[in-house]
Amino acid sequence: MAKNMTLLWCTGSCPCWRAMIALEEKNLQGYNHQLLSFDKMEHKSQQVLDINPRGQFPTFKHGDNVVNESYAICFYLESQFKSQGNKLIPDGPEEQALMYQRMFEGLTFYDKLGNVIYYDWYVPEGERHDSALKRNKDALVAELGLWEGYLSKGSGSFLAGKTFSLADVVVFPTVAFLFRFGLSAGRYPKLEEYYALLKDRPSIKASRPPHWLEGPEEELLLKEI
Amino acid sequence: MAKDMTLLWGSGSPPCWRVQIALEEKNLQGYNQKLLSFEKGEHKSKQVLEINPRGQLPAFKHGNIILNESCAACLYLEHQFKSQGSQLIPEGAAEVGLIYQRIFEAQTLAQKIGEVLYYNWKVPEGERHDSAVQRNKEALTAEMKMWEGYLQGCGGFLAGKSFSLADVIIFPGFAYFFRNGGSEERYPNVAAYYKRLKDRPSIKKTWPPTWNDGPGQEVLKDI
Repeated sequence: MAKNMTLLWCTGSCPCWRAMIALEEKNLQGYNHQLLSFDKMEHKSQQVLDINPRGQFPTFKHGDNVVNESYAICFYLESQFKSQGNKLIPDGPEEQALMYQRMFEGLTFYDKLGNVIYYDWYVPEGERHDSALKRNKDALVAELGLWEGYLSKGSGSFLAGKTFSLADVVVFPTVAFLFRFGLSAGRYPKLEEYYALLKDRPSIKASRPPHWLEGPEEELLLKEI
Repeated sequence: MAKDMTLLWGSGSPPCWRVQIALEEKNLQGYNQKLLSFEKGEHKSKQVLEINPRGQLPAFKHGNIILNESCAACLYLEHQFKSQGSQLIPEGAAEVGLIYQRIFEAQTLAQKIGEVLYYNWKVPEGERHDSAVQRNKEALTAEMKMWEGYLQGCGGFLAGKSFSLADVIIFPGFAYFFRNGGSEERYPNVAAYYKRLKDRPSIKKTWPPTWNDGPGQEVLKDI
């Protein structure tokens, strides 16, 4: 089972973290994995390209089944291992619908975060503008307001309601990255509460980006927002 | 069932179209629907904002359940109505993995199309660069070549032997590409897939009404 799985990943990647949380939640510890370096361009190495022509992490194989795209890996694992580990898709229609909704909003959330913290990575030097970065920060603030609201009005402590679901698997890493990159204490209390609730969940603790344990500290790009 | 459903949508919007195709495929005809105009800013109207605070279409309701992300609505419909209409997610592991992967790759395709088509709308004049426009065009070209490769010898559907949720989600994106000037000659596999599916009942029935009014744009003709 897990022994027939291989994950190619890198540290400090939300998408990789999502897949790894899902593997843990489904009791698939023991999967083969290889930690590669994004900085050394190993995502474009032949070994990755052979499985993932897009040359991206995470790249995942289960026997002969290749599944790339972090969300796809999560859905695949839940559908194939429904009866083991934690149930990640609730049965009730309201919770299930809310889970799907938040998962896909999670893509927007991650995008808006990336437009701030990865601005210099995405935009070549000659094309950068303070006005653009400011606009991206304003967009992230608006997005944070939405999620703060979702967590205030929700029927439970998790994104889809009373139980941990795939919505938490895919969105939690984004929330963790907010605090890693310096989101200020006290400004987003519900997000802080959510982060505190889940950061020591076994699946999350086990798969936390390894370089976070060592330091150095990240540049605190979000401290003013 | 369908009578408890309401879809607010705009013509020519791939995300809206996906939900319409899914509703047809699951035999949920008879849902309430309202066609709104992006040009008139109706996606930011109160009736939309009440369902979708993001002011985006599609906005979908089933009883008290709200789904405002097209793929979320499609996945919900497939899971809640698994036993009726077409089966959009089969059981086999290999097909399931591929279907989900293509669904998420479809997000990348939509993003890259948007980066070319909506550049002037998203980027204020003082921040525009020819180098960025060029880079976005190259990225979309590379993306279309990838899909061209995926559809090589694909047997009619994007993932596996039958029409699936992957086709529901990607088809509107390809249609949108061609509508906006994308070249059928340069992407023959994508064009063949598109032509084969355009007469599928769920797709034909939900073809964007405004696309029958006249030809589309040519913005993507160089991709």
